[in-house]
Amino acid sequence: MPAPIRILTAVPICDGHDSAINTINLEFIRHGIEVVYLGYHRSVGDIVRAAIQEDVRAIGISSYNGGHIEFFSDVVKELKKEGADDIKVFGGGGGTITHADAKAMERKGVEKIFFAGTSLIEMADYVHKNYGKPRGKRSRAKTRDIELARRLTEIEDQHARSKRSTSRSAGRVIGFTGPGGAGKTTLIDELVLRFLLQEPKARVAILSHDPSVVGEGALLGDRATMINSQHDRVFMRSMATRGQGGGLSPATEGCLRELTQSNFDYVIIETVGTGQEAMPFAKKGIVDLTVLVMNPDYGARLQLQKIVMLDLADIVVVNKSDLQRARAAHSEIEQRLEQNRRAQQLIDTVAKRHRDPGVDKLFGLISGNGAMPQKRRKK
Amino acid sequence: MSKLGQVIESVEKHHQFVLDQVKRARTDKEFGRDLLGRWNDIKAKIPVSRAPTGLELPRLALPEIDEPGEIARYLFGEGLPGEFPFLNGAYREMYLEPIREIESFEKNGGSKSGKIDKKVPQTEEPTRLFSGLMLAEDTNERFHFLTAHQRTHRLSTAFDGPTLYGIDSDADGVFGKIGEGGVAVDTVEDMVRLFDGFDLGSPNFSASMTISGPAPTIMAMYIAAAKRRFGPKVVSKLRGTIQADIFKEVQAQNETIFPIEASLRFLCDMIEWTTHEMPRWYPVSISGYHIGEAGSTPVQQAAYTLSNGFAYAEMLSQRGIPVDQFGPRLSFFLDCGLDVEYIALSRVSRRIWAIGMRDAFGAGPRAQMFKLHTQTSGRSLVAAEFKNNLTRTAAELMLAYMNATNSCHSNSADEPFTTPSEEWIRLAAHGQAILLEESGIFKHTMNMLSGSPGMKAVERAVEAAILEEFREIERMGGVLAAVENRYQRSQIQNAAHRYEQQIYDNTRPIIALNKYRNGEDDVPEVKLTRTPRSKQQLQVNRLAKFKKKNAEKAKPALAKLAQVVERGDNCFPALLEAAEVCSLGQITGRLQEVVGRFRPMV
Repeated sequence: MPAPIRILTAVPICDGHDSAINTINLEFIRHGIEVVYLGYHRSVGDIVRAAIQEDVRAIGISSYNGGHIEFFSDVVKELKKEGADDIKVFGGGGGTITHADAKAMERKGVEKIFFAGTSLIEMADYVHKNYGKPRGKRSRAKTRDIELARRLTEIEDQHARSKRSTSRSAGRVIGFTGPGGAGKTTLIDELVLRFLLQEPKARVAILSHDPSVVGEGALLGDRATMINSQHDRVFMRSMATRGQGGGLSPATEGCLRELTQSNFDYVIIETVGTGQEAMPFAKKGIVDLTVLVMNPDYGARLQLQKIVMLDLADIVVVNKSDLQRARAAHSEIEQRLEQNRRAQQLIDTVAKRHRDPGVDKLFGLISGNGAMPQKRRKK
Repeated sequence: MSKLGQVIESVEKHHQFVLDQVKRARTDKEFGRDLLGRWNDIKAKIPVSRAPTGLELPRLALPEIDEPGEIARYLFGEGLPGEFPFLNGAYREMYLEPIREIESFEKNGGSKSGKIDKKVPQTEEPTRLFSGLMLAEDTNERFHFLTAHQRTHRLSTAFDGPTLYGIDSDADGVFGKIGEGGVAVDTVEDMVRLFDGFDLGSPNFSASMTISGPAPTIMAMYIAAAKRRFGPKVVSKLRGTIQADIFKEVQAQNETIFPIEASLRFLCDMIEWTTHEMPRWYPVSISGYHIGEAGSTPVQQAAYTLSNGFAYAEMLSQRGIPVDQFGPRLSFFLDCGLDVEYIALSRVSRRIWAIGMRDAFGAGPRAQMFKLHTQTSGRSLVAAEFKNNLTRTAAELMLAYMNATNSCHSNSADEPFTTPSEEWIRLAAHGQAILLEESGIFKHTMNMLSGSPGMKAVERAVEAAILEEFREIERMGGVLAAVENRYQRSQIQNAAHRYEQQIYDNTRPIIALNKYRNGEDDVPEVKLTRTPRSKQQLQVNRLAKFKKKNAEKAKPALAKLAQVVERGDNCFPALLEAAEVCSLGQITGRLQEVVGRFRPMV
């Protein structure tokens, strides 16, 4: 079976009309397409950077607030400038984009504009027909990010083994896991903000996972909420699990190896929302540090006994600690960790809060400035 | 129990109260007699109105009932127009033609004294047209065009994308968006230009500003502009509305720029200030319009709007502002489309609000009134054979006025593909004039179309469904908790998806789109309103000049603002000072450094 088509969708800057794109995203997924959704109010720079890092086949832009001729053609121009003009641009704007506008946009390199009344199936078919064929030989990558992005695609699509040696650069690999809705994505984004502010030259890579829908594509939506991670010093890649259970993708290990050899100071890996028995980072050496992010609402105390990651994690975070249940959760988890007799850390955070002291503390541990002993690297 | 829980309970209790009164009227002879007497008295005081044909009609139509139980059901369950629970209207006469002589409709009826209500209504035109395009001076010109023949000047302002997101026209990547879809406002100087030639302090002037994320800053700029032109005394006389509805932004419209809690705090700071200093201003317009436009069902629209309103009322009460002080300054904004719910959606909303405010918040009569602005549905309009949109809008206008909306905006038929052009705006405005002034439907008699059996059936069904939505929100821990759990967003998105699906599988007919389609390429050739690049550049240049001129003063103003925000005091006075010398983007940026940015929900 050929690898699923990956495309990126977004709504332009100063435009919050996401109703159409939400509907279209769902339809694309239903037709087996993997959609990296960047969200609304997104700049040309954010869109192009994301498209390059995600190495998508095409960018779909849904614009309802005017200025579309400039915006679409700026995206095309910027792709070209970055050496990524094999990524195509299409889109629509209901009735706001006239036929004359569309012609002008097409002259500037936009591949296709859909008009009001186009059926959803027609759009999905268009994507399959135009972006579904295997890629031909690709020209030489102009930048390191493009090269890395393409390598990840090769690994992901063929489960190819990384050809690089097993030696690693000095970066630290941190794995985040935990149940869905615990706030992993928000927490990581807040940590990235601190990396960017406090380490002015640090580069961060993020490998973020979302589940594939059985028999369908996937909505890779983490970028939409990760406002701080859309940055030139952050390389982010969204991966669908493509049928594998346990929170990661069949290609995760290969992609991770590729990233660890690419001069990032930190490599962050986020699993999909996991169940109690999951132990996504069990494989030796895959990460240096494991963070389990919990929601205070895990149910009865007995449930804690069944969560395998509580035994394995280096740091356990009780996020949403502003919830009523949080104090009880903290002491229950604390007791549970004591059984392990290991130097595990327990931290309370409110990741949604700006400048949350709990997140500061976690940042201290992760960046090596806190009390956490640096783990010895496994070869 | 939370406030929303109390609202649900008070609505249920009220219905029981009405049933009890009906029963009592039928069993307690004296009570029944009193009611009948009151009923006859009301009827006797109804003035006559004359149609141009000479036909005489009562100015208020009442159901033909003479049985005390039914009278009780009507008076307590619906209320006369302008009376609790306001089902039939927030005011007594709404859009009736003013009358010169007052005489009773019942020639020989009624009380001996023959006393009838002598209050001649002071009406304002309910038409309020939304506009905003290009630069401030262009919108100003449009404002003058629109109000040329109106007694009262009620302006409604649309802002461009950068302004709605609180950023400046010189921000990265926004060139091309400047002045598109609304007017570009970066500074107090733009605000001065925008309302040039209008007497902002006049009782015949009111300004409406449709903006929420950066609303407190824009409000501060408006006040600063008014002070520049008319001196500091004008502030207490300013009339108008600013949308400022954070909840619906997070639920539907996506124009939030600070985290929810910070946004709500800035909003309450502003409301607290305006409630004291600007008694004629409506500092928040609790809006279902965008919820409806984002694809919600009509019931979701009303349920979320009302529950948002109750949540604001709760927050303001918790600040210690008396409900009778802020309550009358809350106003509402709903969408009106073609679905059957719109037969009675606003009527039901008005009743739920009145009961909830009275019984859950202890509000007096003025704070019980659900004052409503309606806009016809933009989403119901399509580009295919777009002249059909005139008919759609006309039908929606009819529904809006049947629901006794206090004011209304009618959409232009060319809206699906462009900022409305003057030709189609004129037709949209005329649509309202034809309905209200030319036709006799709404100008002679109140309650002209109220209370048909079908309307009552819709009222019951819609109200039950709204209360069920309230219960769901209540189960989730109230409005804020539900918002943070994306409940309303997901519900709206599901409904939007279903709606699109229905169009594509032809179970929801849209004429000329999926039914009776002529098969031709029917995108119309129309003159488009676009902002020329030269104008956009002009705006950028003006902003640069402003920033340069005020560079020295902006720094301390921003520092002070940040300090006040950190301290947790009401930041609106500091915002007023900053608005004099800082641009919108400078203020937004500084505030975001302190409180963070909004994290979108997917």
